[in-house]
Amino acid sequence: MARSKKVLLILSFTLLLLLCCFPLVINKHYMLVSLLIMGVSFIPFMYRFSKQKLTSRELVMLAILGSIAAVSRVPFASLPSVQPTTFVIIAAALVLGPQSGFVIGVLAAIVSNLFLGQGPWTPWQMYAWGMIGLMAGLLRNTLFMKQMLGRCIYGFLIGFLFGWFMNLWFVVSMINQISWKEILLYYSASFYFDLAHAISNVVFLLLFSNAWIKIIKRFKTKYGLFE
Amino acid sequence: MSLRGVRSFHPAVMLLYYVVIIIGFMLSQHPIFLMVGVGFLLCTQFLFDKGRQLKSWLGMILTLAAFILILTPIFNRRGNHILFYLFENQVMLEAVIQGIMIAFTLVGILLAFISLNQIITQDRFLYIFARISPQWALLSMLAVRFVPLLKRRLMEIEEIQKVRGFSVTKGSLKERVKNGMLFLQALLTGSLEQSIQTADSMSARGYGQQKRSHYQAFPMKKQDAYALLFILITGCLMIFGWWLEDSVLSLLPVLETTKLEQRECLFLANWALLLAFPVWAEGKEVAKWKYYLQKI
Repeated sequence: MARSKKVLLILSFTLLLLLCCFPLVINKHYMLVSLLIMGVSFIPFMYRFSKQKLTSRELVMLAILGSIAAVSRVPFASLPSVQPTTFVIIAAALVLGPQSGFVIGVLAAIVSNLFLGQGPWTPWQMYAWGMIGLMAGLLRNTLFMKQMLGRCIYGFLIGFLFGWFMNLWFVVSMINQISWKEILLYYSASFYFDLAHAISNVVFLLLFSNAWIKIIKRFKTKYGLFE
Repeated sequence: MSLRGVRSFHPAVMLLYYVVIIIGFMLSQHPIFLMVGVGFLLCTQFLFDKGRQLKSWLGMILTLAAFILILTPIFNRRGNHILFYLFENQVMLEAVIQGIMIAFTLVGILLAFISLNQIITQDRFLYIFARISPQWALLSMLAVRFVPLLKRRLMEIEEIQKVRGFSVTKGSLKERVKNGMLFLQALLTGSLEQSIQTADSMSARGYGQQKRSHYQAFPMKKQDAYALLFILITGCLMIFGWWLEDSVLSLLPVLETTKLEQRECLFLANWALLLAFPVWAEGKEVAKWKYYLQKI
């Protein structure tokens, strides 16, 4: 099991790398190729979870965390581009591990899109949030993530990466011949939003990550879930 | 509620239909093809709800389209036909056409998604999902069910905290953010505890005992088989047209004329036929209704 997981991880990171680099090699049909690569790197994780046996308590806990991540936008509706969805996913992943982090991230994207309407961005969002959870879960036992500073750095970087990745659906669909100037322009247009996302991640992690991790951890130990 | 028009078709068939349409928009990079596509999708929108849903998206769609239409010619300098000079930069005809095509592709894809959301509603989406992966679908259904519940609980928490003087709408930014997170924290603690009850109730009713069966909400009918055949044939022809490069306008090295040749007209007709499917299915009902009204 542990070995297959490692293979899976290496495989999807290579594919992610491919996704970032293929515009340099192929100069046609970015949208189709990127969707294809994304699908291929995404499906192993989706499949792995769909074959897993879970108790009803674990299943419901994942569902609650996923929908809290989606609902968490509601109290912040009056503050533009401040939303703790990413924070909730990271906090849950830090306790429950990569697999559950991935599931909660994907679930948050599915649920919020089911309510707000599907769009071309749905798969990108699923992928981005799923990977944020997966990475946070993988790094949870490292010294980096155990320190508050490390967590904040992760939140900051992820804030920008998420924004850049979400721009991709737009960028790949409209640029037929990629030039760096164009890409820079599009990305600078979204800079303010990405910065707000990154900073709010840091603030949330700084102020609340310890409390949230404690709550989820206590709940996990209390009912002996995900042992 | 009895279903009519496009909604009476099997959701999986309709999903396939929209996947084919979206692929069509990505492949058919020819202004006429794209304009015909957008035209048909607009027609579909008006037949569905007189464009009400469209209105709420119009702002976003137009902004994106304008963004592309203006920026592509500025940045794309490849081409042989100079139209005019803008601040000593040449604006190419090829780039303008390219901008128009990209804008129409994007508008087409967004329009396809708008009507997809209208036809494949939440329950239908989860139904298709359940056939592919029951575990994911069960999880999504649970989460979807929790959303209204959590929203209600969150509202209760907000009401209670307002009495105590904590609010997300008043005060400094720092206070608002902090209060909002504290509300969420209360929601988390409460909901996790309550979720155990839901889970135990699921176990008590036999979750995990044996393989789950599922309710067949949407049986395949004869009309679905015909629709599937129709979509497959026109879809394959559409891809064939792209492969022959009949539905693609080549910009470089030499700009092709936008006028269509005979064979290209055939593929355009095929594309229009594919797009006309929801218009036909909905329009038939409207025509029937009008006819019966006249008879009375």
